[in-house]
Amino acid sequence: MTNRIRVLRAERDWSQAEVADRLGIARQTVVALEAGKYAPSLPLAFKISRLFGKTVEEIFDADSVS
Amino acid sequence: MKSSNPTAVANRRYVVEIVVCMLAYIAVLVPAMWLLNRGIEGPLKLVVAIAPVVPVAFVFLAVLRYFAATDEFQRRLMVESLAIAGGITALLAVTYGFLQNAGLPYLSAWWTYTAFMAAWLIARLFVSRNYDA
Repeated sequence: MTNRIRVLRAERDWSQAEVADRLGIARQTVVALEAGKYAPSLPLAFKISRLFGKTVEEIFDADSVS
Repeated sequence: MKSSNPTAVANRRYVVEIVVCMLAYIAVLVPAMWLLNRGIEGPLKLVVAIAPVVPVAFVFLAVLRYFAATDEFQRRLMVESLAIAGGITALLAVTYGFLQNAGLPYLSAWWTYTAFMAAWLIARLFVSRNYDA
């Protein structure tokens, strides 16, 4: 599932480690999320959307589900 | 500065607990082996013989605590690698069991533990690679 986490993170000039700390997850988890290799649970998806001030649909592309 | 990221906290705690368990294992194992070599008998012999299992059980507890505290993706990596390791170990155990029927020497139960831990390590590397960017 593709998402815009990398772009949103770059816009804010945050490192992957910073995003990991803000979300309370491992940096390796941020890497997998950004790569679209791991689709987060609903709670984590909402946490990510709150962090970037976007809706879940604005971050995750529902049409890219493989 | 130490981060308050719960996953980072879980990682640090896990490492500390594993190190403590390893030290406790050595601290129990050495006197237990010494006592056994001195030739103690009776029920005490069994108690001394299984004493090193206690710190090993605490390793299991540390793994469970880590599993409960880490993030959902790390948990998935753990579940997948443990499932694969369990399958590999079962397959190896059954295979060797049949080879024993064909006359190969009987191996100690220790080998299943060693095989499981080795399989877990290898499986973890492969599972992690599956999710790499």
